Amino acid sequence: MKKKILLLVLSVSAFSFAATAQDTIKTTGDAPLVISGSVDTYFKTDFSGKPNIPTSFANENNSISIGMVDLGLKKSVGNASFVGELSFGPRGQQQSIPNADPGLVTFPGTSTTGVGYSSYHIQNLYVSYNLTSALNVTAGYMSTFIGYEVISPAANFNYSTSYLFTNGPFQNAGFKATYTFSPAVSLMAGIFNDYWNAYQSGGKVNTFGAQLTVTPVKNWTAYLNVAAGDQSGTEFDLTTAYQITPAFKLGLNAADFTAGSGYGYKGGFSGVALYPQLAVSKVVTLGIRGEYFSSKAGAYLNAGPPPGESVTGITFTANVKAGPLTFIPEIRFDNSSKSDMFLDGSGNLTQGATQFLMAAVYAF
Amino acid sequence: MKYLIPAFLFILLAKTSAAQQDLLSFDEHNKYIYYQVESMPGIAADTLAQRGLKYVKTFYAKTTFKTDNSGGIKGEGKFLVYGGISVLKHEQGEIAYQVNIEFKDQKYRFWLTGFVFTPYQRDRYGNFVPQQGVDIPMEQATAKLDKKDVDGYLDETGAFCKQFGDHLKTYLSKLPEPKKADIVKKVVTDNW
Repeated sequence: MKKKILLLVLSVSAFSFAATAQDTIKTTGDAPLVISGSVDTYFKTDFSGKPNIPTSFANENNSISIGMVDLGLKKSVGNASFVGELSFGPRGQQQSIPNADPGLVTFPGTSTTGVGYSSYHIQNLYVSYNLTSALNVTAGYMSTFIGYEVISPAANFNYSTSYLFTNGPFQNAGFKATYTFSPAVSLMAGIFNDYWNAYQSGGKVNTFGAQLTVTPVKNWTAYLNVAAGDQSGTEFDLTTAYQITPAFKLGLNAADFTAGSGYGYKGGFSGVALYPQLAVSKVVTLGIRGEYFSSKAGAYLNAGPPPGESVTGITFTANVKAGPLTFIPEIRFDNSSKSDMFLDGSGNLTQGATQFLMAAVYAF
Repeated sequence: MKYLIPAFLFILLAKTSAAQQDLLSFDEHNKYIYYQVESMPGIAADTLAQRGLKYVKTFYAKTTFKTDNSGGIKGEGKFLVYGGISVLKHEQGEIAYQVNIEFKDQKYRFWLTGFVFTPYQRDRYGNFVPQQGVDIPMEQATAKLDKKDVDGYLDETGAFCKQFGDHLKTYLSKLPEPKKADIVKKVVTDNW
């Protein structure tokens, strides 16, 4: 028995020596299987005592709630790689990703019965190959290339989300090719399924998507995006971020969306959001999100103001880092152009809504 | 036996926590530097320079190199640093560096310095990519990053420099292998 223990200790020692040598000097080449992700939870309250602001996530009033467990896997061998990212929890399931089987949902006013929402939990599932050092091709179900904000709370500065994010695509399934002309210019073009945020197409693969990435000066990158299809509609989007000084970053997102002719309703939205952020210490960064969002006239409904109306939102957010954990206190003031979007404490329609939240996001 | 196992565990622990950052020094400008002078008995400076250039072009293809009139090599490159425990290890950032190699008859010297850390962040597609506009000289890193993380990055920097130096020494000291003529085995089928 003692010999076995000794042998085990020796084996572990030898393995440890070898592993240390390999890990610390690895500079290029095939990386090991990478596991990363995040876990998030939050408390949120609406000052009116009623859930008011209709943007994605953190919608409950006076509730300690959970976001999601996000688990991403990535592996690269040579020029080939894959990413598989699964999420579990409200933010990563019914609040953001599609129903795997619409037939299982009981829609109001229909006789369909079933067990309710069914999800594959998938945020990203794609394979990728570098045909040359400049040309990459990717196929699968991917986070959208449009917009400033994303689903993962670890990748957003603000915990609540913008109207532009909420009403734009979250994911696109399709095939895309990216060509890098120089370190300052690259172009992605692809063909995607007819509907956003769906694991399968509705019968057509007819949404064209493209992204021109330019880096005009060091630390400033701009993405000019378009997604256009009969069913999915047409969205033009500018997303840009400029790290002006080591402490100050300015981001901007502007978009215009017109519902597709195949959708059956006219309308859409346009808007702009500005994201100034200032690092005041090595653990604290303060930021503001200022957004203007306008719904176009028509029958198409946005998560936000009714058609023909608009809303402005100002969100004050801090990121306080404690190692891999980030605390996010946030206060948000939204104001609509007419008194038909929010409720006051008595349940009457009003123009303004205010909410406070405190989130904790652990990223690994 | 009862002392043997704790002894091995102690060695294991000591080895695991060995600080590779001790390999780094500070130069006269208070910048981290890895500096070595090595002797190469019997090898002329121009031979060393040729081998040195071939070495960097072969093994550090993504690094930018220039040569000066005396055959010296200057270059700029970067390497990845990792963090987290083994199963959750992923790219934490990259460290840019400058490398200089100079040759004389029967000896050479080289140094790596100018280490600048750029943290990585996970993008929307699940990849770890450089955080734009955040470049932290390693000498100032403790003011902007966790000390534990900085210690880890310095360890990895020391290990990278040592690997660079060890491989360079091996490569420079090696005589070029004579070209082997392609030997094709011929079979005469007429006589059998």
